Amino acid sequence: MATLTAGVPKHAAGAAGIKQHASWSPYDDNGGTTLAVAGADYCIVAASMRMSTGYSIMTRRSSKILQLTDKCVIASAGFQADMKALHKMLQSRNVTYQHSHAKPMSCPATAQLLSNTLYHRRFFPLFTFNICAGLDDEGKGAVYTYDAIGSYERTGYSCQGSGKDLMQPVLDNQLKAASPLLIPARGDTVEIFVITKEGVRREELELKKD
Amino acid sequence: MLPRPTTHSKALGPGVAGPELAVATSAVLDRPPQPTAQRPLSGAQAFSVDPSLVESADGPRQHTQYPYVTGTSVLAVKYAGGVMLACDTLGAYGSTKRYKSLERIIRVNARTAVAAGGEISDFQYITRLLEELATDDYRTDDGIELGPREVFSYLTRVMYNRRGKMDPLWNSLVVGGVEADGTVFLGTVGMIGTHYTDSHVATGFGAHLARPMFRERQSDDMSEADAEALLRDALRVCYYRDKQSINKFQVAKATGEGVAIGKPFALETKWDYKAFAAPTKWAIGAW
Amino acid sequence: MFLTRSEYDRGVNTFSPEGRLFQVEYAIEAIKLGSTAIGVATSEGVVLAVEKRVTSPLLEPSSIQKVAEIDDHIGCAMSGLTADAKTLIDHARAETQSHRFSYNEPMPLESCTQSLCDLALQFGEDDDEGGGGGGMSRPFGVALLIAGWDADVGPVLYHTDPSGTYVKYRCMAIGSGSEGALTALQEHFKPEMTLAEAEVLALSTLKQVMEEKVTATNVDIAKVAPNYHLYSTDEVEGVIGRL
Repeated sequence: MATLTAGVPKHAAGAAGIKQHASWSPYDDNGGTTLAVAGADYCIVAASMRMSTGYSIMTRRSSKILQLTDKCVIASAGFQADMKALHKMLQSRNVTYQHSHAKPMSCPATAQLLSNTLYHRRFFPLFTFNICAGLDDEGKGAVYTYDAIGSYERTGYSCQGSGKDLMQPVLDNQLKAASPLLIPARGDTVEIFVITKEGVRREELELKKD
Repeated sequence: MLPRPTTHSKALGPGVAGPELAVATSAVLDRPPQPTAQRPLSGAQAFSVDPSLVESADGPRQHTQYPYVTGTSVLAVKYAGGVMLACDTLGAYGSTKRYKSLERIIRVNARTAVAAGGEISDFQYITRLLEELATDDYRTDDGIELGPREVFSYLTRVMYNRRGKMDPLWNSLVVGGVEADGTVFLGTVGMIGTHYTDSHVATGFGAHLARPMFRERQSDDMSEADAEALLRDALRVCYYRDKQSINKFQVAKATGEGVAIGKPFALETKWDYKAFAAPTKWAIGAW
Repeated sequence: MFLTRSEYDRGVNTFSPEGRLFQVEYAIEAIKLGSTAIGVATSEGVVLAVEKRVTSPLLEPSSIQKVAEIDDHIGCAMSGLTADAKTLIDHARAETQSHRFSYNEPMPLESCTQSLCDLALQFGEDDDEGGGGGGMSRPFGVALLIAGWDADVGPVLYHTDPSGTYVKYRCMAIGSGSEGALTALQEHFKPEMTLAEAEVLALSTLKQVMEEKVTATNVDIAKVAPNYHLYSTDEVEGVIGRL
């Protein structure tokens, strides 16, 4: 019976309640890892550029980092369509803010706005895991880390996304002592944003293309 | 002035009613059924549903939650001066090869082509949206034409908005074309709004079967002939392994000269491998 | 056709042939009947000094409110129809709190002022025009001196009037005694003043234009430096003592 009705619309299938047609989910996990480290007067943000679904690589060059101002960027992992929608929204909110308040949105202000934006969708969440990073009003490095529904916290460093389980212990271990960073990153290319009072500089680090 | 019924209107949703219901006057309602393509003379009344009835039906709308007639993989690559798209012409009803001459690549304007896999009726709705978009753009008569990037961006929003309403358009779309400045564009968007641009893309089975070939052989400055040869090889591989495909294909190219959608053609195939003749011969436990 | 002013002074949406909106001008006139309010901005902060007209010995002076807190970093002095000011201040309080909610930062003073002026302009809108001003029948009859402290700029003072115009001042006076007060302020104001000197300047100017003798009950003083603070009776008496 099951083989006969495969691909036949549900109402025509014999066994009631058994899904025999294609189903869909409004979410996908497109992977990716992001991280940010705050310094005394700088901030470093990095994110892998691979976009995947299941075991398939969709593209090796897609950015997860949105630069909003000279002092603030947002890096997001999770569901790419939600990430893009969120980034578009924050970009437009940023422009509106500059028009009404005649100054760029500060990093702490962006952090609060991001939290509100995520919580606004509490019952149909944006499946994104964000880091908001940059320089605060005093010029100090700032890293804000979020869950999908807007809980957030200012930290000294943070990582998010599919590689966070591997990365968080390394960060915990390395960043509490003076030693060079060694990050267990995977996935095509890492893009790195270095935010200082001079502005934002972008670099790339090539990884294994496996 | 009467509101012009557009495909953006709720009444015209995804293909349950024609424009007549959107502005229902007695002249329309009292007229006996006319023999048109949509209203056959014999048999039952043509499928025509008052949108308000659909809205008030028990529970949420269900008939858009799975696809009926589907198209399979779409393949596309960039090459020197343009982009080439390819797919077969099958509309499958489950595993029935129901419609064998469906053209799944459309020209949006002189610089943009769109190809689709997935639910055919949803693609026909998208086609109407794009026709409207292109017509409005043309009618504006400002000497500026939408580029493929803009058409792509529009489609990403359409797809994402519909998934947000839990009523997705069941398609994977590929957008290819050339910008006014000569930049070649190629992007794809899925049914829940995930999208990306790349030098080569493939939807459905093609993502597994064709893209490994593209990764080896495609380059942005390859010749048109090489690109076509690559696509034909990839189509053949997909045809051998995808039971929901047929040996009738179309290739389209979008270059600075415009969009050209080729006539359907068949590929030469070879089935006389021993493994094809007796696929289970060496498999223990097979019959 | 229409030769007299009276034919053009009814609608708030009709310009006179000379290009004037009489209802707005009349509203500005209403302010000239109001009690005097003075604002002085220094690099240390902004001082607001206002006259309270205690018209009867039976009246409880503390119930007259002519200065109000909008947010921690914004205060305002009013003159004219002070009942109208209530509406404006409520609006500004909601706006500044909303800004704190959205951005976790104090609202820039100019944005707050702009938002007040947007509201002040809604007298011209139809009932169904949106914007929330639905059915305002006349302009607000009140002028405000908005004193505040911007995170990146420091002390700021704005003046708004019923036309929805706002202008930044270092020193400003509104109300019945404003003309005399402005003359005095122009003479004595110095940009490098300390806050204490500004308190004295504001109060002594107020004293000059007031009919009554200045006491701790018939004036209010407030400052924003960098937070809003309304002076207690003792503090006001302290300033009076330094005149």
